[in-house]
Amino acid sequence: MNTMNFRSKVSGGLKKAALVTTVAAAALALAACGSSNSSSNKAEKDDGKLMTVTVYDDMANYQGVAKGWFAHYVQKKFNIKLKMVAPNVSGGGNTLFDTRTAAGNLGDLIITGTNHVNKLTKAGLLTNMTPYMSGMKYIKKYSAATDQITKLAGKKGIWGITNSVSSESPTKSSEGLEPITAPYIRWDLYKKVGYPKLNSTDDLLNALKDMQTEARKETGKNDVYAISLFKDWDSTMMQNAGQNLAFYGWEVNQPFALSKGNGSAYESLIDSKSQYVKGLRFLNKAKQLGLVDPESTTQNWDTMYSKYQAGKVLFAYWGYLGQGAFNTTSNMAAGKGFELAPLKNMKVFSMGNQPTGNTTFIGVGSKAKNKARLVKFINWLYSPEGVQIQQAQTTGYSAGPKGLTWKMKGGQPVLTEFGKKAQLEGGSVQVPAKWGTGTWKDGISTLNYVAVMQYDKDPTTGYSYGYVTWPSVLKLNQTKLSKDWSAHMDNATSSMDYLKKNKELLVGAGVSYTAPEDSSTVSTTRGSIGTQIVNSSWKMVMAKNDAEFNSLLSNMQKTAKGLGYDSVYKVDLKNAKAKNALREKTIKQYKEDK
Amino acid sequence: MDNVTVNPDVAAEQKRRHQQHEKAKAKQGRKMWLLIAPFLVLVVAFSYYPLFGWIYAFFDYEPPIPLHQSEFVGLQWFKMMIQNSTQVHQLVQVLANTFAMSLLNIATSFLPVLFAIGLNEIRNKHFRNTIQTLTTLPNFISWVLVYSIAFAMFSSSGMVNELLQNLHWIAEPIKFLDSDAHTWLKMLLWSTWKGLGWGSIIYLASITGIDPELYEAGRVDGASKLQLIRYITIPELLPTYFVMLMLSVSNFLNNGMDQYFVFQNAFNQTHIQVLDLYVYNVGMGNNSLSYATAISMLKSLVSVVLLWIVNVVSKKTRGSSII
Repeated sequence: MNTMNFRSKVSGGLKKAALVTTVAAAALALAACGSSNSSSNKAEKDDGKLMTVTVYDDMANYQGVAKGWFAHYVQKKFNIKLKMVAPNVSGGGNTLFDTRTAAGNLGDLIITGTNHVNKLTKAGLLTNMTPYMSGMKYIKKYSAATDQITKLAGKKGIWGITNSVSSESPTKSSEGLEPITAPYIRWDLYKKVGYPKLNSTDDLLNALKDMQTEARKETGKNDVYAISLFKDWDSTMMQNAGQNLAFYGWEVNQPFALSKGNGSAYESLIDSKSQYVKGLRFLNKAKQLGLVDPESTTQNWDTMYSKYQAGKVLFAYWGYLGQGAFNTTSNMAAGKGFELAPLKNMKVFSMGNQPTGNTTFIGVGSKAKNKARLVKFINWLYSPEGVQIQQAQTTGYSAGPKGLTWKMKGGQPVLTEFGKKAQLEGGSVQVPAKWGTGTWKDGISTLNYVAVMQYDKDPTTGYSYGYVTWPSVLKLNQTKLSKDWSAHMDNATSSMDYLKKNKELLVGAGVSYTAPEDSSTVSTTRGSIGTQIVNSSWKMVMAKNDAEFNSLLSNMQKTAKGLGYDSVYKVDLKNAKAKNALREKTIKQYKEDK
Repeated sequence: MDNVTVNPDVAAEQKRRHQQHEKAKAKQGRKMWLLIAPFLVLVVAFSYYPLFGWIYAFFDYEPPIPLHQSEFVGLQWFKMMIQNSTQVHQLVQVLANTFAMSLLNIATSFLPVLFAIGLNEIRNKHFRNTIQTLTTLPNFISWVLVYSIAFAMFSSSGMVNELLQNLHWIAEPIKFLDSDAHTWLKMLLWSTWKGLGWGSIIYLASITGIDPELYEAGRVDGASKLQLIRYITIPELLPTYFVMLMLSVSNFLNNGMDQYFVFQNAFNQTHIQVLDLYVYNVGMGNNSLSYATAISMLKSLVSVVLLWIVNVVSKKTRGSSII
């Protein structure tokens, strides 16, 4: 056969085939588009059967079907099994959100940022809960929180409810006894090196250097480092370096415009004198002094956390990290543990209570079955019982189910023996068979969702939900460690107490501010600049000397500016100012309401 | 022959025959067409249909808002690629990484040949099989696992650093993974380690296909072992080698992304980001799917340019074009 002929035939066939397939494929695509759902506003009946609920949860650190005592409780109460989908676990930023939403079903229950509300309602992925609201008294109680979501959705109806709602004053710190972000150090080693004065962060580094030497001598191990870092939470900045902001009253986790918690000053992130660059310098100085764990660049949160547990790290940016990992009952009894460092002139930023909730919300997906039951479940999360049980997730939050971990004694809540083991001694105690299987620690709620602030008053007990402020627990926590710390900190009863007395606390009034959505060019520019900033920041922290640090810094500034930093900064500055304006308004309103 | 009048009957017969022949040819053609149709469908489904996705580059697409509700933005994303010199510089760097690592891979494509020849010279069968198995195995390990091996060995608290520190040869751990020194070379070494054994299989097969008489003749002429390799084995392997080379050149831009994806970090990103990885980082990491689509179209553009160059070269050297 003539090859030319054959070829022309094939190419003719190819054209035909291409045409046929294209038409077929286009038809398919159209069919897929046509079958998109139309959301109804009518209530659907509950079939009462056991169902597996897919929970898309930005907060969760666990993926798969939840197990243990909490799951057991939920199944008994609601006939629901929770199947967690956790972007934190699967990694890759927004990939999971994008692919799932593009496929038209994010989950049956949705826990994600309020910045997504508008998009989700627009695409018809959220359920209007209005038809299911009769009798849902706890969701109704926090109507400011549901209104917040309605406003963002730009559509009538109840589309969800924000997290961390509170009935307390927005100017009162929401953080209980220990501020979330502050300089925490291993107090026992600080004692060993003779309580040196900490007039500046440089002094802090020198003290840490001595403490590191001391710790290495004590343990005989060379892998003890004063500072250990991780990169899991980096976004458009190196998250760890950005925590220094909170030491001097700057709000943490902001985009390119940094602002003081009370709106008195603003800075550009990459400015050579910005608080963020100071944070980088702090870490780089530490690196040059040999205080930074070389594994910082590659490890993740879990690896780092286990180092804290093993006492191999001496400085922590967060109370829940240092104290959560290392301050076990036995360590504290031996006088060991993390406590607030007396850094002179600090002004610790602390978030106030948020009457309208924070910037995460929970809602019901539009494809969910038995929506009435899911709304009931959300209502339960905001009820006293729900808060007690579901929020027993991180050390310092709720105590757990009444009768298991705590009981009322003489009109006061007290921890039971089991409760002490569960909450104060690491939690690896088996739960009684009645409550399910496994250990306490493994069975806590995988939702990792704070519905109501833990220092709000529990109407059933008259005390706060968070057990650490219960008088009975405060008495228990008088340890060798806390006594020594208190003696050297003006007899303060807690970190918050110390900061308040010394006027070293700055409370940023609690508002639920969701920045207006970036235009797509701004968000793309922000993304590519953010990558550059994060990468450069890590290089700067690990720089060998100041000269290298400075050249990396100017390089970073040049690249960021070249990519269009200024235009994004302008947007961020506007948003930061709007947020602080909202703060003032909220404070005024709260005063008026009173 | 000119004067011979054509018998009308013969002409009719010829015409009939011709028609029959045409019919048979058409039938044959249809059969051939049916044979090839399934593959055409596959080609269309997997190579042409995805091109439809290019449409995303012209919209402001952000899931979950469906495409038909997204705003049409024309060439906004393409303009963005070249809007400032820093951006252009970044793209150039990405292309440079892609080209450099592809070129390095092509430049070292003779290694499997040498390896196959060396392997073939091992007389002990068990030893040879063991070596072959051990070198082929890495090809079946995914890059994610390769990275975990790399991490266990070369991280700052990995085996190598621990060993060197315990021997007191170094005080500070050497940064093998989280530094930007010799990134291209390191990546080349990893891919060579992974692919060498596998790549040599085809050459081993070719070697067994070489006519033994050639070797016998060579030996009779008194050729040494090296001379046998130099004058018989290598020339006989060259055709296979060139076919493989052609194939790898055609994959110039598809130099994979999983390897670079698992090895990338804040320190080496400047030099490890190849085109595919860059598209992934922009699209998935920075949540800009439309922009990522626009960048990925660049790949097709570069491919067409490369194809054109190869075609011109082929025309000049061989006198015939490829397409």
